[in-house]
Parts: sequence; C-alpha cells; structure tokens
Amino acid sequence: MEANCASKRSCRIFEFLESSIGKKIMVAAAGILLCGFLVTHLAGNLLMFVGGPAFDHYAEALVHNPLLPVAELGLLALFLLHIVLSIRATLANRAARPEGYQVYKGKGARTPGSRTMAVTGLLILAFIIVHVATFKYDVGGLKGQVAGQEESLFAHVLGWFANPWYALFYVLAVGGVGFHLSHGVQSALQTFGVNHPRYTPALKRLGLAFAVLIFVGFASLPVYFGFFHKADLACCAPVEGGSK
Amino acid sequence: MNITLKVWRQKNAAAPGALVEYTVSGVVPEMSFLEMLDTLNEQLIAKGEDPLAFDSDCREGICGMCNLMIDGQAHGPDKEATTCQLHMRRYKDGDVVTVEPFRAKGFPLVKDLVVDRSAFDRIQAAGGFVSTHTGGAGEANAILIPHDMAEKAMDAASCIGCGACVAACPNASAMLFVAAKVSQYALLPQGQPEREKRVLAMREAMDKEGFGHCTNEYECEAACPKGIKLSNIARLNREFLRATLLTE
Repeated sequence: MEANCASKRSCRIFEFLESSIGKKIMVAAAGILLCGFLVTHLAGNLLMFVGGPAFDHYAEALVHNPLLPVAELGLLALFLLHIVLSIRATLANRAARPEGYQVYKGKGARTPGSRTMAVTGLLILAFIIVHVATFKYDVGGLKGQVAGQEESLFAHVLGWFANPWYALFYVLAVGGVGFHLSHGVQSALQTFGVNHPRYTPALKRLGLAFAVLIFVGFASLPVYFGFFHKADLACCAPVEGGSK
Repeated sequence: MNITLKVWRQKNAAAPGALVEYTVSGVVPEMSFLEMLDTLNEQLIAKGEDPLAFDSDCREGICGMCNLMIDGQAHGPDKEATTCQLHMRRYKDGDVVTVEPFRAKGFPLVKDLVVDRSAFDRIQAAGGFVSTHTGGAGEANAILIPHDMAEKAMDAASCIGCGACVAACPNASAMLFVAAKVSQYALLPQGQPEREKRVLAMREAMDKEGFGHCTNEYECEAACPKGIKLSNIARLNREFLRATLLTE
C-alpha cells in the first residue's frame, strides 16, 4: 500500500483510515455528525405540530436555499462513510472468529443496543431509502392529489401517515434509530478517547436520554397524525390505499 | 460428585473437531476446575483413551496460561478469576458443563483446548518495551512519579496476557490487551521517548494478526481476570490519534 502514497504524510492518513482504530474513529465521527443532522431534522419536523402553513413555509425555505445541494452532498458523504466503514469493520470482525463457539454467553456487559447495531443499522438504511423515495422524490405518487394543495409537503406527509403500515414502519424504523443511538452515542465518545471515572457514567446516561428523545420526537409525528389526528385528513388528503 | 462435561476434542488444526461428552466421577468441591480436568485425564488414561490437551502453568492466577471457555464464558462464571481459580464448589452433582477453546483467528487451535497465543508475544515484541539499559536498580526517588499515575500504570501492567478479552469479545478484538500494554508505558516517564513509535507499531502488529475491531461491548472488561478497565482502550485510541498527528 505504501507504493500508492504520494508522500509520507498521505501514507499516514491512508494507514490511519485502514487501521482498526482509525476506522472506528471515522465511523464514530460520522455518527456524531449524523446525530447533529437528526436534531435539525427533528426540529424541522416538529413544526408539523405548529401547523401546516408553518411546516410548509419551513420546507419551502429549505428547498429554495441555494446551499441545500451542498448540504445534501455532505450528508450523503457522511452516510456513505459511516455505512461503508461499518460494514467493512463488521465483515472483518466476522472473519476474526472463523470458528464460532457452541455456547457463547458472555458476562452480561452487552446491551440490547450494542447487540443489534448491525440489524438496526440496516433497518435505518432501508428506512432512509423508502423515506427519501416517498417524501422527497414522491415515489408512490401521492403528491398533488389534493386540489389546491399541490405544493403542500404537509398534506403529502399526512397522506403517507394515513397509511397505517407506513406509519408503523416509520415508528419501527425510528425505534431502530433509538436503539442504534443508545449504544452509538456513548460508544462514539469512548472511541474518541473520552473516558473519565467521574463523567463517563453521566455521559452514558446523556447518550441514552438523547436516544430516547430522538425516538419519541420522531415517532410522535406518525403516531399523532397517523392514528389520533386522522379526522383532519379527510379535508386535506384523500388517499388511495389509506385506512378509511 | 459427578460432572458431565461436553469438551471440544480436535486432534490438530487440520482435523475436524466436535464436542465430546464425558462424565467425571469423584469430583470434590475443593478441586479447581483444572484439577477436575486432571481427574478426567486420569480416568481417560485408565481406560486407554487419549487424554485431553489443555494449557496451564502456575495454577495460582498469575501466569495467564490457562484459558478455557466454560459454558460460554471466558475463564468461567467467576468475576476477576482465571480458569485455575475457578473451583468445583461452584457446581453441583450432575451439572453439565461445556468447555471450549478460546476462539479467534489470531489464536489458531493446536489441539483440543490448546490454542497458540504467540500473536500476543509478537504484538508485545513490536513495541511493548523500553529501549534503554536500565543498569542496576537505581535510587527509587530519582524519577518522581505521581502516585495516581503509578497506580494506573500498575493496574494496566497487571494484564497477564491470557487472551480472555479476545475470547469474550464478540468481534475477537485484542484491543484491551494492546491498550493495557500501551497504557503501562504511556503513563510513566520511562515510556515517553518511544510513546508514539510504540503505539503505532503495536497497533499495526495487532491488525496484522487478524484480530477484530473494538465496538465497545464491554465484554472484555467483564471477562478480564485482572479487572483491566475499558478506559485503557480510550487511552489507546487517544494515544493512536495523538501519534498519528504528531509523528513526523
């Protein structure tokens, strides 16, 4: 691998990214930045509780921001970095124990979140694909079915949430995000080398609280608009295949 | 009491292996787990069968030689104990116990329950030392070391290299071992001149041996017979990052 390096310094960066420790530091860094994205995304979503016009206004402002494509590319890069390095590390970890145990119990240190990182990760990936396809690219063609509401993202989202299967999938997927974060946040801090006898227990609880908040925040929308606030739907989004 | 064992038997690395069931009679609570295996071997030899191969040396928990996966737990169910420190009073008559070798690509199987852990020696040889002639014992207070630093270094240095961290890790990662060895020098003044060189070399040796990545599952810490803390891995990560950035 040294032969491909332009200089000693670029060699070191390459070595860092290929190393077991460097790889996980990059996965952790991308993960923490993605947490930042989750916060901004959730803040925007919660405008749905303020009302349709507020949410639509926010969506409009976002879509017409000339910097949006740059941010989207950055986000895509973060996701790819996180996913590709995680998958590579996971495959390497499987290869590190070619012959498994007949009985493997451990000593109870693993958490439900840590056990399921790969599963929840793949669930989140599947969700993101469906999520972007339906909400951003309008696959499934729900947009503009309501006369006079062609441009309303609010009506569009409500249309999807009216489908109980879609709403359930949404809740399940953000549950996966919560599980993923319950291990991910504290694990990322440990990977950065943040481990202190006084602060680490508090940071672990903070990570768990963050995971719960993210789950409750995102899940509140499909639960409220999909199951409790359906009455309003009749007025603004008649949906084929809905549960009426 | 009688104990039924399901033990991994495998002639050599190339031969296929399987769990074989034996009943060991005459087990008393005062026996250590290894003495119970000795008893099994005496009974196997008496029957003219091939005795079970397993590692042990000091049998007092300080050499790091014994290494068994007992009912899916590295060194068995006790906390901060090696296999030799596990006693049969933990079990009762008629118990069924599964015994397997430590499993990792970096620990290739030799025979039955014996694995080759020389990967740890190679990692240690890559940088786990101080390159200086220390001569005779110097004046103890010539180099002043704060008490808490000395304690932390000693805690890290209490690693006996048994490999339980690797065996218990869902990813077969050797990070706790390497972290302990890097930490014991990084914390002391004598380790400073080679601080960066050491962590870079030991990380490289660790990856070369085919151990997995740490995903902070904390199973290594729970399995470690010497109570090495995961905070050492955080230090290893810091040391590695620092060395990557600082080395010219």
